[in-house]
Amino acid sequence: MNKTFKIAYSLKNTYRVNTILYSLKQVPVLKRLFPQELYRDPDYKIFANIMSGIWEFIKAFLGKFLYFLIMIALAAGFCKTVPERQTFLHIFVILTLIGAPTNTYIFNPTKDKYYALILLKMDAREYALSMYVYEMLKILTGYLIFGMIFGKMSGLTIWQCLLLPFAAAGMKLAVVAWSLRKYERTGYAVSENQIGVRGWILIALSLAAAYGIPAAAVLGIPVIGNCVLPETVSAAILVCGILGGIVSFRKIWTFTEFREVYQQILTQHMHQVEEARRSVKRQSEKVIQIEEGAGSSRKGFEYLNELFIRRHQKILWKSSKRIAFISLCIMCAGILGIFLFPEIKGKVNHLVLTNLPYFVFIMYCINRGTGFTNVLFMNCDHSLLTYSFYKRPECILKLFWIRLREIMKVNLLPAFVIGAGLAALLYLSGGTEDPLNYVMLLISVLCMSAFFSMHYLTIYYLLQPYNAGTEIKSGTYRIVVIATYLFCYGFMQLRMSTFVFGLGTIIFCVVYCAAACVLVYRLAPRTFRLRA
Amino acid sequence: MIFIDDISSDNIYNILSSKAVHRACRKEGMYMRFTIEHLVKHFEKKEVLRDIDFTFESGKIYGLLGRNGAGKTTLFNCLNKDMKADGGNFYLEEGGQKRETVPDDIGYVLSAPTVPEFLTGREFLKFFIDIHEDKIEESKNLDAYFDYMSIAPEDRDKLLKDYSHGMKNKMQMLVNIIAKPNLLLLDEPLTSLDVVVAEEMKQILRSLKENRIIIVSTHIMDLALDLCDEIVLLNHGVLDKVDKTDMDSHEFKEKILAVLRDERPID
Repeated sequence: MNKTFKIAYSLKNTYRVNTILYSLKQVPVLKRLFPQELYRDPDYKIFANIMSGIWEFIKAFLGKFLYFLIMIALAAGFCKTVPERQTFLHIFVILTLIGAPTNTYIFNPTKDKYYALILLKMDAREYALSMYVYEMLKILTGYLIFGMIFGKMSGLTIWQCLLLPFAAAGMKLAVVAWSLRKYERTGYAVSENQIGVRGWILIALSLAAAYGIPAAAVLGIPVIGNCVLPETVSAAILVCGILGGIVSFRKIWTFTEFREVYQQILTQHMHQVEEARRSVKRQSEKVIQIEEGAGSSRKGFEYLNELFIRRHQKILWKSSKRIAFISLCIMCAGILGIFLFPEIKGKVNHLVLTNLPYFVFIMYCINRGTGFTNVLFMNCDHSLLTYSFYKRPECILKLFWIRLREIMKVNLLPAFVIGAGLAALLYLSGGTEDPLNYVMLLISVLCMSAFFSMHYLTIYYLLQPYNAGTEIKSGTYRIVVIATYLFCYGFMQLRMSTFVFGLGTIIFCVVYCAAACVLVYRLAPRTFRLRA
Repeated sequence: MIFIDDISSDNIYNILSSKAVHRACRKEGMYMRFTIEHLVKHFEKKEVLRDIDFTFESGKIYGLLGRNGAGKTTLFNCLNKDMKADGGNFYLEEGGQKRETVPDDIGYVLSAPTVPEFLTGREFLKFFIDIHEDKIEESKNLDAYFDYMSIAPEDRDKLLKDYSHGMKNKMQMLVNIIAKPNLLLLDEPLTSLDVVVAEEMKQILRSLKENRIIIVSTHIMDLALDLCDEIVLLNHGVLDKVDKTDMDSHEFKEKILAVLRDERPID
């Protein structure tokens, strides 16, 4: 079994080391530093092995540290009306009961198990037991250290602290043994990811009990607040968990049909992954709508575009109209609020005049740019980019302008509602001395919308991130998307007068759009290609 | 309905009437060559195309044979300018005049057919003809093109997403040959087609070879021997013609296999 463990662990580690090296190779600039023989070079291997070791350590300890700190100790600390250690045990017991069936390790269909058991046909029993013992030891060590630290800080006795790791491991063992018995009875093995609706409801109710009951005690609702598990009950459940674990250990150790169990779980999982992939494809085809007699009198790329927009009406315009409608409702609610509670007028007026930067993030969130480019690629460019006529520079640029016009139209509807609504809110909440503020509000929101439309289409044309298999293959594209989010999020911290910010936004958008046009004109004929 | 067997090169000229066709026909009998000189492509340190140096002649179908990973698709991607080559060049030579290839010179048919699924077959064809209207002088009725490819009338107004694999392949082939490119590259064109469609495609390719160069990449040797006039091997990043003089089919196969297995050089 020792040898099996060594091979299995080494396989898992190799998989992780190669994943680390592969990920590093995807980072722009960094990738140029790595040699082609990256996976053979001993120095890089040592580096990746160290990273893998750190990752294993983080998984084993940091996760458990955060779990005890945030999920249990801090949450228990908030409840002052019940002894802290009672709340600590209450939360721990319920979370452990949830974790036992949902985090078994043994029934988790991971890729390393698939490689070891299905592809390499390793001895399933030895593999399962040796890796399971290793995982249990990690749990015992982690829970022992952090259970002791945070338990003592919450006032638990040393005996109560000692119960925590063994009870957690015991409950997991009991659930695994029960599942194995169920397999022997029915012949069906179930992966821990197949939770089902009832399972999710049970988890939601358990979480509500874990945190809701102490919260009710804090809020002074005694009917619920008094239901925090008494210490003795919690301790009894933990002891039962340990006893259950001891009894169950024998069942797991003597079970002989791990191969059959894994065969079922891993095959089901691979089918699910394949099904999910097919469902993405089906989904992108499902958004194509065709109506009788819906032709087009246009020609060439305008013809292509009109049919594309018409056949994707649901995905492109429906959500835009929905966002515009919700924005309209919010604006109407704001206006109604001003009429019903005139005392808030001053606050609303101040908010509108100083919080325009917030709308950068809001416009970012409601923009349909990524959805638009995604559908463009999946249902149109993915196929047409394989034809040489479609890659002629004049064709690329012509279609770019047509698409820019369309995406701007789609995004302008909600932007107009928001901009006009803000101007109306400003007027009705007391107005402003400078009438330019009204114009500025409307124009700057429209400019933000135009900016995001331009931005997403430009990065799509300049970085064309997809390969023929419709996977995103550009690290730079991912970085630009994350940077866009951070850039917009940063604006939430900014407080600036509407006039100054609005003017800045308009200038920025005009400059950005001009620069983007130049870049697309110069580079897109070369960059708008299917990735190899 | 026009059946493939009925189509002579005159019929094709009538159906696929385009400026390119006119040009080609004006030069009927004129010799066209496509020359690749010292083409190099490497991925990091791995040299996939080491020194491609070869001249293809019009009126012939070339079978490009090579082992898996030999670089057949890479070569096509470089010629179609989907991928930038690291060295070398290639050009067309017509009537003694050399010139660089332009996108309209090349038709590239992929093994997995890719067609815009939100369009119907008829709409895709109309769009393609709109785009090429300056090159197609007398645009024919769309149905004539469908008849030529044996696409049934009831399928012509269906969305392409509902087309079968073979029908998608036919549509892809149709738009690639409609503008009569001088150089037609076909990457594993018949691998996943049923026997009837595969036979139809072979007939179409044979009928199209006049006045143009067709290069078919495949790893199915029987297909290459059946369809192609010349066999070219891509081995170790180099392109070589296999001479068939004084050999029967069996000997020829053995010779190709021996070269691909590195047992003997091409003589």
